[in-house]
Amino acid sequence: MTTAAPVALRSSAPRPTLGFLICLPLLLSFAAPVAENAYAQEPATGSTPESIWSQDYIDDIFPWAPANERILQFKEYHTYETVKNRMLRLAEDNPDIFSFHEGMNGGTNARGEEVTANAYEGWYYGHSSPWMKITGDVQDGDYNPFVGDTGNYPDRHDVMIVGNHHAREWMSYTVPMMQLEVIAFSYNNIGYDNDGDGLVDEDTWGDSNGDGQLDDDGDCLGLAAEFQDSNGDGTNCGPGDHGVDEDYSEQWITDLVNSREIYLIPMLNVDGNIYDREVYMPGQCPGEEAWDCSAAGWRKNLRDNTVTGITPLPDLDEEVDEGCDGVDLNRNYQFEWGAPLGATGPLVPGACYAGQNNDVYNGPVDTVDQDGDNRFNEDHVDGKDDDGDGLTDEDWLGGNSEPETKFIQDMTEMNDDTGDGSSEFKSTLTHHSFSELILWPWGHCTDCESPDHVQLQYHGQMMADMTQYANLQSSSLYPTSGDFCDWHYGVHGSYCYTSEIGTAFHQHPDDIDHIAVRNLGLGFYIAEIADSPRERADLEIANISQQNYLKQPSMITIPDEGDIPVEICVSNQFPYSATDSKVQWRQVKPSRMQSDFGPREWSTTPWETAGVELVDGGCSLAAGNGTLLRAMVPVSETATGKLHYKATVSTLGGADLYQYPADGDYYVLDVTYRAAFGSVVGAFFTFSLVATFVWGGLAVALRIMLGSEEDDDKVYEADLRDTSIEVGSLSED
Amino acid sequence: MAESDQFNGRLGLIFASIGAAIGTGNIWRFPRMVGANGGGTFLIPWLIFLFAWSIPLVIAEYAMGKRSRTGTIGTFRIFAGRRFAWMGLWTAWISTAIGFYYAVVSGWTLKYFQLGITGALNGEKVDTTEVWNAFLQSSGQVIFFQFVVILLVLGTIWKGAKAIEKVNFYLMISLFVLLFLTLFLSLWMDLSDGSLDGALFMFTVDFDMLFEPEVWINGLSQSAWSCSAGMGMCITYAVYMRKDEDTVLNAFTMGLANNSISIIAGLAVLSAIFAVNPDPLATVTGGSSAITFLALPEVFAQAPGGAIGPLIMTAMFFLALSFAALTSMISTVELCVRNFVDHGYDRERSVLITGLALFIFGIPSAVMWIKFDSAGVAFPEFLEVQDHIWGYGLMFSGLFIAFSIWKYGYIKWRKAVEEGTAAPGFAGYLGLGVSAFRDDFINTGDNDLEVGRWWDVLIYIAFPVLFFILMASYFSDMIANTPNVWDPSNPKGLSIILLFWGVVATLFIVLNKKLIERPLFRNVPEGADADISELPGGSDDLIGQVGDVIAGFEHLTASVDAELAD
Repeated sequence: MTTAAPVALRSSAPRPTLGFLICLPLLLSFAAPVAENAYAQEPATGSTPESIWSQDYIDDIFPWAPANERILQFKEYHTYETVKNRMLRLAEDNPDIFSFHEGMNGGTNARGEEVTANAYEGWYYGHSSPWMKITGDVQDGDYNPFVGDTGNYPDRHDVMIVGNHHAREWMSYTVPMMQLEVIAFSYNNIGYDNDGDGLVDEDTWGDSNGDGQLDDDGDCLGLAAEFQDSNGDGTNCGPGDHGVDEDYSEQWITDLVNSREIYLIPMLNVDGNIYDREVYMPGQCPGEEAWDCSAAGWRKNLRDNTVTGITPLPDLDEEVDEGCDGVDLNRNYQFEWGAPLGATGPLVPGACYAGQNNDVYNGPVDTVDQDGDNRFNEDHVDGKDDDGDGLTDEDWLGGNSEPETKFIQDMTEMNDDTGDGSSEFKSTLTHHSFSELILWPWGHCTDCESPDHVQLQYHGQMMADMTQYANLQSSSLYPTSGDFCDWHYGVHGSYCYTSEIGTAFHQHPDDIDHIAVRNLGLGFYIAEIADSPRERADLEIANISQQNYLKQPSMITIPDEGDIPVEICVSNQFPYSATDSKVQWRQVKPSRMQSDFGPREWSTTPWETAGVELVDGGCSLAAGNGTLLRAMVPVSETATGKLHYKATVSTLGGADLYQYPADGDYYVLDVTYRAAFGSVVGAFFTFSLVATFVWGGLAVALRIMLGSEEDDDKVYEADLRDTSIEVGSLSED
Repeated sequence: MAESDQFNGRLGLIFASIGAAIGTGNIWRFPRMVGANGGGTFLIPWLIFLFAWSIPLVIAEYAMGKRSRTGTIGTFRIFAGRRFAWMGLWTAWISTAIGFYYAVVSGWTLKYFQLGITGALNGEKVDTTEVWNAFLQSSGQVIFFQFVVILLVLGTIWKGAKAIEKVNFYLMISLFVLLFLTLFLSLWMDLSDGSLDGALFMFTVDFDMLFEPEVWINGLSQSAWSCSAGMGMCITYAVYMRKDEDTVLNAFTMGLANNSISIIAGLAVLSAIFAVNPDPLATVTGGSSAITFLALPEVFAQAPGGAIGPLIMTAMFFLALSFAALTSMISTVELCVRNFVDHGYDRERSVLITGLALFIFGIPSAVMWIKFDSAGVAFPEFLEVQDHIWGYGLMFSGLFIAFSIWKYGYIKWRKAVEEGTAAPGFAGYLGLGVSAFRDDFINTGDNDLEVGRWWDVLIYIAFPVLFFILMASYFSDMIANTPNVWDPSNPKGLSIILLFWGVVATLFIVLNKKLIERPLFRNVPEGADADISELPGGSDDLIGQVGDVIAGFEHLTASVDAELAD
């Protein structure tokens, strides 16, 4: 609590007293049943926002700035200038955790190139991307002369969060700016009551208590129905609504800052952003605000593509040629660069084809023989040794040609705190807009899965749950080559995510605050998993797998005819593969070896496999809803005995297999004879046949016998009459 | 020459043979097989194998016994040759070893008749499992009823053929009547719930099941065991045939009568179970003793007719069952006794010795290793292991019979070739050798029915193929389904079977020498065509007829004469 005083200085918002903080646990314990009650209440008779929260919270007044600071309150958009100024202010006010930078110092980069600071300056306006280094004691730690930052600690995990690759995607730099504010405000501000309801840290991002509701403390759900959709997006108590994920733990954020090095680059494409705001949109819709204009906006940076001759050759005198200029930064990264998927193929240097859609132009073809072997571009960046010379990706085809992408490249590759030669960024996040999606590699190929597919999908699902966005592999939306995440994952093994925020490029200012709030958790989540994203995913998938269940015999209905349906309920959070999951079964039938005198003998058939398919209807798990997978087990209608069954649920790509019930176990279902016992006509026919053969045959045989030996039988009968031997007396004989 | 011991009439042989053939298997095994193998579907292989397996073997047995006029040892000594007398010993031993525990099982049926007639099985609160468990665990009871059975059997065979004939006659007639009455009540029960679904099931063919190999193998095994074909029973009873008996017609009559009884018993059991049991097939496919001693008393307890109906039905059924068991037991003991008598032993003494052996060696089966299965039902594991070990040994007797036939055909053909009366080469063999046994011993002129070429085909081709299939499927099933199947200490494993078989066969082959040093007395009726000189073992000074004085063994003649003088 020693930092309570300096923290209070930083903001004009009301701060809790020390005594209050000490009493918090006690208060919390009183409040817990209240929260429970609120949750239990019917929405129709629910409470009003005023009865729960502080007026500031209800009015979306954030505690880090006065109510009339429209930009800092996220009621208006930041511009490049306000972004930079605010970052400077925050760095100055929080020198222990923030250090502000623009571009990098340069020097010899990881590829042996001599790079100067101005290599990272935008082509047109000449600004380097502003960024914030965030970590505890940021002024201490190692100094990185190339990057220019202190606060490098080998034991802290680096995480990179990048906004605004695409100039017009304004929410994509807004969300990182809000994350900055939240970090600044929350660091060491332990136990702050964000929503003023007297509870602290009661509702963090996501569904932390596993009840299927984001609103962990139930305050939003306890509201009368008309208050539940405060952001008006049509979802009651969804992300971004009042009372949903509104009171995260400041302690957790503080710990995160102290254990991670966060490289937050809110506005990568400064050139493009300025141009979009100041030139392009006003040009498209003079006198109108960008959000009212039907034009999509400027996407790329401002590379001058119209100069004939040697490229790159910045030409500041010339106006931007909107038909030709610019490179799509998110198609300019080197991994599988140039594959003509979702990107315009490489142009002849400097050329611009009229009428061509240059919005996704991926930059010029490389003209340098990187390895000096007098062969050009013979080993493009794909993680393979294309030319078989023992070096991998050493002479690339193109990509990372822009100041902005080169900045990302060198920041990534020159940030080797541990000195092991590999990138420190185990997880990375880039914000985009719009479409309400969470995307992850691969982007460059369709119908392909990365080695970490399941794990990537898992974390994607976590973030999708947090935002209620759709979670999908990037190429499932549309294939792209040369994007940020394929490069980060493909070249550096970083778990990289792309968020597609909101519903418009220039989102209406009324929606800035709640959409930013809705996406706020992403940057923290990605920072949290930066230590070991793969292991975290594996562990969590294993945990979720325990929610899945195979229906027990008591839950199975054996139909009167046909196969027996065996169903598995799989958590929606579980990255199951319906193709690779299966039900195994065997029958225990009365044995053919049935002994006449011993106990009933059973014979057990070998295990067989039945595939599963997705069926409608869903199912419920301990935590939320699940998906129903059904296998039809071909048990004969005439079978009796037992059916043993168990299931294997496979993760996508078959990386992990989970057994239900537990390993080696199986369920036992009693199987009764289901077929009809027979038909009258058939039975009569068979009976006649058998009777003819057996009884008819017997009659014929007896007839022949008696007929031919009539005399003998007469003698025999006489003998029987005369006999004095009786059965009963034999034993005494 | 002393008079030979023989049946009075043709029906005597028939009834004795039917008595041997009809055992508990017809009544408790057949319904289970029908239940487990698709109802009416099962009847098709079962009927086919009656004609393809059982009847041809019975014909062969009758023909051999009628000619050799001795029990199994003598028959093989004569038909297979001096070196193969041990085959007869094997046949006799397997039958007797089965008799050790079969007497115990017969005792169970008697006990259940007693329980049935006293109404102890029909009360409101009777838990049939408890009754069964209590009975099996009370060693005294089990031994007592085993003892009673042995006494009854000894009494019957004490005097030889004529007594066997009469007892079998009465018991079989009673069995027919009792089973018919049971069937009538069962059908009534089944009808009273609106449908004859038991009968429907039993006679409905499921054509998919018809292509299941398992159904065919089960049909074969049921036909092979139920008819006692190839097990030496018919050889034994043929010893008492009158001189001009019709072997073929007798074989058909016996086989068809056996299957008739199976159908009646099966229909009665299935109808009763289907009438009252909610999941009849689960019940029917259980172990045989479980159906008989647990399920059926429960089912019969629900028979119509107030207190009397169930009582009568239960008592009738178990009386019929014990009659079936007793008659089979009689043939088993007689098979053994006949072999003693053949070798010059006094009949009474032989009967006593056999009875004593049956009793003593049956006691372990009666009381040892009474265990409980997973459902809490007691079962006698020692008895089950005995069945496990000796059950399939029976099949070899059939193989030995076929071997004798094959051998006779080959020898006769070789001799004919040497004499120049037959063509060498395969065509000649086909012409003379293959049909030799049939020509010389079956179609002797005593028969109303001539046996055609089909019989050769069945014995030379169908029999070995079916024998192989039966054995292979049994052992492969066992290997596939038994844990630790090769562990010799596993009483249900394969090693223990092979061990016992190996030891017994080796012992018998060694004993063969001693065996053929003994004289053999054939029970030939006066005027019978019983020339054995052409047979491999026929020219043997030690083989004579009853009443003959055989050099070196004069003392034996007296005892044989003494027996026949009675």
